[in-house]
Amino acid sequence: MKIGIPRALSYFDYFPIWKTFLDKLGFKTIISSPTTKDILDKGVSLCVDDACLPVKIFHGHVADLIGKVDTIFIPRLISVSPGEYICPKFIGLPEMVKNTISDLPPLLVFNYDLHKGIKYRGKAFNTLARQLGLSGGVVDRAYKEACSMQDKYERMLKSGQSPLNILEPKESWDESIKNKVTIGIIGHSYLLCDRYISMDLIKKIQNKGYNVKVPSNVPDKKIEENIMDIPKRMFLSYGKRMLGSGIEWLKCDEVDGIIFLSSFGCGIDSFIEELIRRYNAREYKLPYAVFSLDEHSGQAGFETRLEAFLDMMEWRNRIGHNFSAHG
Amino acid sequence: MVITFPHMGKMYIPVKALFDELGVDIIIPPKINKDTLDIGLKSCPEMACLPLKVTIGNYVESIKRGADTIVLSGSCGPCRFGYYGVIQKEILKDLGYDVDIVILDPPREGLRELIDRLKKISGNCSLYSGLAALSKAFKVSEGVEELLELVLKQRCKEINKGDTDDILSRFEEKVRKVKGANKILDCIQDAKGELSKVRLDSKKKTIKIGLVGEIYTIIEPFVNFDIEKKLGDMGVEVHREMSVDNWVKYHLFPDIKFRRKQKRTLKYAKDYLDLCIGGHAWETIAHALYYARKGMDGIIQIMPFGCMPEIVAESILPTLAKNENIPVMTLVVDELTGEAGYQTRLEAFVDLLQLERSRKENEFGEALSWN
Repeated sequence: MKIGIPRALSYFDYFPIWKTFLDKLGFKTIISSPTTKDILDKGVSLCVDDACLPVKIFHGHVADLIGKVDTIFIPRLISVSPGEYICPKFIGLPEMVKNTISDLPPLLVFNYDLHKGIKYRGKAFNTLARQLGLSGGVVDRAYKEACSMQDKYERMLKSGQSPLNILEPKESWDESIKNKVTIGIIGHSYLLCDRYISMDLIKKIQNKGYNVKVPSNVPDKKIEENIMDIPKRMFLSYGKRMLGSGIEWLKCDEVDGIIFLSSFGCGIDSFIEELIRRYNAREYKLPYAVFSLDEHSGQAGFETRLEAFLDMMEWRNRIGHNFSAHG
Repeated sequence: MVITFPHMGKMYIPVKALFDELGVDIIIPPKINKDTLDIGLKSCPEMACLPLKVTIGNYVESIKRGADTIVLSGSCGPCRFGYYGVIQKEILKDLGYDVDIVILDPPREGLRELIDRLKKISGNCSLYSGLAALSKAFKVSEGVEELLELVLKQRCKEINKGDTDDILSRFEEKVRKVKGANKILDCIQDAKGELSKVRLDSKKKTIKIGLVGEIYTIIEPFVNFDIEKKLGDMGVEVHREMSVDNWVKYHLFPDIKFRRKQKRTLKYAKDYLDLCIGGHAWETIAHALYYARKGMDGIIQIMPFGCMPEIVAESILPTLAKNENIPVMTLVVDELTGEAGYQTRLEAFVDLLQLERSRKENEFGEALSWN
């Protein structure tokens, strides 16, 4: 049986565990092709208008898989960490897909809820296997291998590699170049790793000779520490990671500038961006820019803004602490 | 300490009753108007949902009148409402207002903290007087809801247009001036008495519309352009399951019977959605189904722009509409919504429902061949 996995949303965070698990169980996994204009347009036309860009793209990827596979894997990530949630739209994703796309093959809905504890992770995968008619030792072995694959991926990320380098190892990026200037890009992994929709932001910045850091490079311990200072527990996992890494970069002087990559209509971004911007403006005063993406974003305007931002940063580094570049 | 709180429809009445009974000074924010929204628009993140912007306006207007503590209910996900308090504190700080924001999170986030916070805002009253005040506030909340339901039922049938709303606005003016739960209850009784004298056309056939959606946009007349009144004036009987009173009963008050009923209603929707995804999306679907089976003519969903849970509900509703054969319209409101366009859409929707109704009753028979 061929199982299709849409290359969107949480795919970029969890594909090692999903793909390995399904592969080891003996299924053929097919991943939808990288986002193209066609996929985006399809998603936009299928999905409700008010949804955010990443969810629209997810719809496009699901549509892309129709006809190529026997069943489509739709993750329903309710919670990936105890006591936390992700986003209401992630929880309602299977319903959104079911009710807006017609002619769907059967869906393989993967319920994943660790809200009550980490021990439910194994159970979630067991249930997934049972849906596919498998149980017993095969499943345990597949689960173990999948977990170690996921750990490996996360270790690579924590060691400072850009997720794009891991995802697309062919286009290797020379690790030996150690640039002086580092830019931190805050954003959801599904924006940063999608080269079409993020207009290849990571590569663009790397090609101009800068180091890039993304939130998934920041160790969990640091995130937890930084979050403690916030008056209320951050209960959204992605939000927590972005906020925690933002504060980390502001505090530790690790980066020379911060770019916040946000998508139009993202509810979490609107709050996290506001907090980071206000903290930065009040105390740290690092160069900071917000790039907002939607289905109409133009490449030229995006590039101009990026160049302007980098120029500003360069001026500031060169001229030192003269007032002009500090705004 | 002078306490203030955000507006949400008529919620200020039970809240006022509660603090009056506790003997705590409060300032009720002025009725939401364009200026309130403008304050929020200037200072809030653009992509944030509408309630955040309006409530910031409420706070600033109250602070200017002397409030120094803001009380806000909280939650811990998945809806971003749970983080309102934190964002709003930062915004107010940058605006130069250093006020205390007390967020009342559910007990599982820390019972000790909740008790401390409750003690702080209740002026350290005894447990007994606290509970007594609370039970009176519950009564007021129930009374207000009964009154509002009566208004909903009567408005569409009144002979002199505007009678019901006159009574309602007189009641609101009076209630702001009196002090104490008992006096508020008296006001409610008076208003009910007046309402019963309004002349009604009891034979009038009305179109029935059920309102579903996000609680704030359904309840707060400023953000939904007083949809209840607009529809009522068109002769539509509006049904609204979502209310402050029901919310209180479900979340705060140990009303087991009501909880069971509510859970049953939610389970009802299991073919479409069978888990809580935050906000009121589950209720939206469940209530829509309930209205459809109860024989309503149509359903209107209202949500603020960018509301994460309601977007999921919005994608499910078309299927529900098809399966249950009931027209559903979604209205998305934000600071840029124009009243005229909104009115036109409502009128068109009601016209369609009327046409459908007459087609069903076969008044036109085969004359309307395009149907």
